[in-house]
Amino acid sequence: MSAPSLSSYIVKRPWLKNWMMPLANWYTDAAGYRRLGLRFDDLIPEETATVQKAIKRLPAKEAYDRVFRIRRAFQCSVSHTLLPAAEQTKPEEDVEYLSPIIRAIEKEQAEREDLDNLVVRR
Amino acid sequence: MLSRSTLSRNAPRALQTSVVGASSRRGMASATQGIQFDVSESSGVKVANREAAGPTGTLALVAKAGSRYQPFPGFADALSEFAFKTTLKRSGLRITREVELLGGEVSSTHSRENVVLTAKYLANDLPYFVELLAEVASQSQFSVHELQEVVFKHLKYRQQAFAADAEAQAIDAAHSVAFHNGLGATITPSTSVPFEKYLSAEAIAEYAQKAYSKSNIALVGTGSNSADLNKWVGEFFKALPSGGAPQSSASQYYGGEQRISTKAGNAVVIAFPGSSAFGTSGYKPEASVLATLLGGESTIKWTPGFTLLSKATQGFSQLRASTQNFAYSDAGLLTIGLSGKADQVASASKNAVDLLKKAAAGEVASEDIKKATALAKFRALESVQNLGTGLEATGSALLASGKLSQASEIAQSFDNISEAQVKDAAKSLLSGKASVAAVGDLHQLPYGQDLGLTL
Repeated sequence: MSAPSLSSYIVKRPWLKNWMMPLANWYTDAAGYRRLGLRFDDLIPEETATVQKAIKRLPAKEAYDRVFRIRRAFQCSVSHTLLPAAEQTKPEEDVEYLSPIIRAIEKEQAEREDLDNLVVRR
Repeated sequence: MLSRSTLSRNAPRALQTSVVGASSRRGMASATQGIQFDVSESSGVKVANREAAGPTGTLALVAKAGSRYQPFPGFADALSEFAFKTTLKRSGLRITREVELLGGEVSSTHSRENVVLTAKYLANDLPYFVELLAEVASQSQFSVHELQEVVFKHLKYRQQAFAADAEAQAIDAAHSVAFHNGLGATITPSTSVPFEKYLSAEAIAEYAQKAYSKSNIALVGTGSNSADLNKWVGEFFKALPSGGAPQSSASQYYGGEQRISTKAGNAVVIAFPGSSAFGTSGYKPEASVLATLLGGESTIKWTPGFTLLSKATQGFSQLRASTQNFAYSDAGLLTIGLSGKADQVASASKNAVDLLKKAAAGEVASEDIKKATALAKFRALESVQNLGTGLEATGSALLASGKLSQASEIAQSFDNISEAQVKDAAKSLLSGKASVAAVGDLHQLPYGQDLGLTL
């Protein structure tokens, strides 16, 4: 997820954050993935080595739930329907479950790269 | 007046004898001095250090957490695999690279009684490696992904290596029939053991906290200054938890028979209660003398040597025989191991029992017993002095009794052995229960009863 983002700039300023949050909530809801029962982390493109590794590191229950959500969303998409309101993802359920693992793996890779390019001065 | 001719004839000889005497005396003295460890305690951790100034040093952390103490199968393996992996302070990769840059060597192994973390380093880097060992012991992360991605994979290879080694399997099986639990626990779970269901990162972390508690570990160092070592140990090992150690019941000898069929090779191990480690109540040097007397492996090239088994099995070209005494802190196991072609193993195992009967009847040349005593004494002293085995043995002794055995005492215990004692030892083995393990082509390998043993 390397798209340029203003989010860190905004989050650092509470007044700006308070101002932007309703807008952000509206936007996320309008994106529509929650009505298919997905979470935001389900949308991360998984065709990279890093994300594949992160998916492998998910606990068994989380991995199962992820596949379930994606298949359910796929069915909804095929049948051109939305989930009943009770089954849609609620804002408080839409938490990061994959991104922390991805960030940890990226950190490991960055560390490996740094150590590979280390110049030792004695 | 001395004539010139007598002087000239005797002088070289006199010179020779005096030089020989001096050098042999000096050799003895330095051998006993070099072996001494300074024993101390800093911040609750037992430290033994052999001050032999040199450019490199070695430091081993010996924890009483080997397969004997593990609550579930595979824990000791996993704990030793988890050493030098990611800690709360730095990643496993960083540890590896830092050690590479400093030019050291770190390794971790486990035996039936201990998990041993060893670091070898240039003498200047002592503080770094003391800190590293303390960090591994107290702050390892035991993350789930490392368990899945690294530890499990290594364990699979270990299991496969174990499954491919018929002799190791036979020795393991002999231990399990001899001691059941505790010392009988398998040293590496075999490929058919369902250890995955017990092994989780949290369970290992809990085991590690007990295993690396202050009272359960000993540090054994060589090559560095004792004062320096104590200072750094005191500083870095403060954070270790104190109290709580993995428990194991006292060893009891049962005996019995186990047969495992495999295509990996053929091995028969005939085991008897042996001698426990020096300084414990079950220490019987005559058992180790009996082990070297039966022997099987020559110590000299191009000759079968003096040992009974090697002489008896001289005609077998595809056979390996070796008799060992596995000494533990409260028990010992004397094993006669035979491996090779199935038919040769079968007939050699009959020979081995016959030889033991001969030894019990006193039909062994006294010269052979003398040679065996000398070899057993050498092996015992060498294993204390040897860096590889000595570090663990020292740590183990320090944990068991808090004091270390002196080389002279060990030597003394062998000097007092008489032929009758060796004969009695052989007799008591034959009258007691044996443990027999046969691994390989069971169609050809004999049962313990057919060998004439009581089971």
